[in-house]
Amino acid sequence: MTGKQLLAVDTLTKHFPVRRGLIFPREIGSVRAVDGISLTLQKGETLAVVGESGCGKSTLGRLLLRLIEPTSGSVRFDGIDVLSLDRETLRKLRRRMQMIFQDPFASLHPRLSVRRILSEPIELHLGLSPKDTERRVNELLSVVGLAPYHADRYPHEFSGGQRQRIGIARALSTRPELIVCDEPVSALDVSIQAHVINLLVDLRQQFGLSYIFIAHDLAVVRHIADRIAVMYLGEIVEIGDKYAVTASPRHPYTRALLSAVPRAEAGRERRTIAQGDVPSPLNPPSGCRFHPRCPYAEARCRAETPQARTLEDGRQVACHRQDEIPPWPAAGGAGIDPVVRRRLQVLATAAKAKPAAA
Amino acid sequence: MTSTDIESSTPLPRPVGLLRRLASDSTVLIAGGILVTIVAASLLAPFIAPYDPYETGYAPFIPPAFMEGGTSEFLLGTDQQGRDLLSRLLYGTQATLLTGLLGVFFGGGAGVVLGILAAYFKKFDPPIMRFVDVLLSFPAILFGLAIAAVIGPGIVPIIIALSIATVPDVARVTRSTAVVVMSQEYMEAGRAIGLSDRHLIIRYLGLNCIGSVFVFLTLRFGQVILIGAALSFLGLGARPPMAELGMMAAQGRDALFFAPHISTIPSLAIFMIVLCANMLGDALRDALDPRMRNM
Ligand SMILES: Nc1ncnc2c1ncn2[C@@H]1O[C@H](COP(=O)(O)OP(=O)(O)OP(=O)(O)O)[C@@H](O)[C@H]1O
Ligand code: SF4
Ligand SMILES: [Mg+2]
Repeated sequence: MTGKQLLAVDTLTKHFPVRRGLIFPREIGSVRAVDGISLTLQKGETLAVVGESGCGKSTLGRLLLRLIEPTSGSVRFDGIDVLSLDRETLRKLRRRMQMIFQDPFASLHPRLSVRRILSEPIELHLGLSPKDTERRVNELLSVVGLAPYHADRYPHEFSGGQRQRIGIARALSTRPELIVCDEPVSALDVSIQAHVINLLVDLRQQFGLSYIFIAHDLAVVRHIADRIAVMYLGEIVEIGDKYAVTASPRHPYTRALLSAVPRAEAGRERRTIAQGDVPSPLNPPSGCRFHPRCPYAEARCRAETPQARTLEDGRQVACHRQDEIPPWPAAGGAGIDPVVRRRLQVLATAAKAKPAAA
Repeated sequence: MTSTDIESSTPLPRPVGLLRRLASDSTVLIAGGILVTIVAASLLAPFIAPYDPYETGYAPFIPPAFMEGGTSEFLLGTDQQGRDLLSRLLYGTQATLLTGLLGVFFGGGAGVVLGILAAYFKKFDPPIMRFVDVLLSFPAILFGLAIAAVIGPGIVPIIIALSIATVPDVARVTRSTAVVVMSQEYMEAGRAIGLSDRHLIIRYLGLNCIGSVFVFLTLRFGQVILIGAALSFLGLGARPPMAELGMMAAQGRDALFFAPHISTIPSLAIFMIVLCANMLGDALRDALDPRMRNM
């Protein structure tokens, strides 16, 4: 970690208008998918973004890369005001910031060979000769654990894990500095997840990458992240060092997330995180958005929006009662779900076993 | 390199080639065979037609050879002006196929462009689709009449009318296909790489829509031929003595009761072309996407 800032996001907001009416559509409100998020990312750092489905994680990831236009706010990438760039400059900047997508079956153009998929960004941004492009494609394939002969195959000929490797190779192809990983393993089998996660960890060291790592699996996040941001209904409720956030969570929602038990380990499982359903981001609750589900809610929570406060360990928490709620069970991970702990062990074992497999 | 091992999963088998799948379908073989024969015969008309299609010197109203009173000299008989019907049929098919093909080509091309642009640039979507709705509410016959009124009847107004009549349906089908493709993650991945709009529209969106749009155009071809024949039948199209199937059917109308072959033979030719085009289109659709079989 060089300690130099790569990304600075200030009160980033995205509201999707909701229209009703067939002939004269009227705006009846807006989905506040991302609502005033500020964060920073240092060079070489990995910031994980966790939260329940629909809380705006993917929207945030897209906004960071300006794949969609924000309603308001600012994004600075290495000092460049990304939102003020014209189309051409933005396209050039895309060389430096890439994305890995969630669904390995939908994120690869089905009619292009792997060679084309990987050559396109290289031709666009690196201006290599055809020969060097070919060499680079082979190099990328071997970096992600595939072989040169895979280059002439089509996406449908690969398994999910292999496709995700192709997606990773594509993201790496332009030698980026930042990669937004949008739940890169949640569509994969558990047995394959650990391999892909460890590959991402390797690549970060090898190429000095910085990640925004979107996930809903806390074990994976503990393994890969430096810091964790917990999102709820478009807002960050707690952000800080991963050990601080997972060992002594201060926000009631972070605690609910940590003690949640995944019902199925693979795929997009539904989990009971706190009692009650996630309220609609169309009409988020007043005051603290978590109050309808929060066991510590009081009158103030319904009326006033809590402001983020920085604690002595540098983390920020947005809760009125963060100093009043009972302490989290002592260190040693007693509060962590046994399932999460088992997953952590799997990841660690896979990481150790790796040199033998290579 | 400290890369992790490749998962030991066997890749999916390649789907059987499209052509092989098509060739194993007997409908395709029959319909395709008939259509190829018709097209080849009409293209070769100058070489295989036994007589000049405009030559009126022969005896009129000779029935086809297989009917009573027919002669092997005129295999399909002659029309009321004493022209050889087989020769006229060959040339007429050529004209009919050409008008249909050009109509589908120009109209389909414009429709595809409109549909793709509407799906890709969301702000163009409402105006483009309103325009398409307006086009859709004018029947092709009206277009034909209007254009023929301005530039006079002939094959050009028919082609224009057919093109305009083809635009809206193709635009709608293309748009709905393209909207689905647009929502695929690989479109966003292409943008994240920094590809230009042009590249994304042609190589990403276009390439992934073209299959289903082509199927639709094949199905549409039969209808366009029918509309074209109807316009000619109404006297808006090819001008006599030029041979065109719809017009030939119209000309035989007056003799329908005592020399039915003059009208029936060109009508049957239209029927065969439309039927084969539709069957091919259906088969192509099934071959491209077996999930659409029940639609
Ligand atoms: N293009 C869009 N138009 C309208 N609403 C949208 C759009 N994209 C996202 N939303 C809404 O914004 C909210 C956040 O969506 P987002 O995809 O960012 O959630 P997420 O945290 O990534 O969820 P998941 O874990 O399911 O991927 C959701 O309520 C979603 O319905
Ligand atoms: S502000 Fe109130 S409702 Fe919100 S998390 Fe804190 S205690 Fe719960
Ligand atoms: Mg998402």
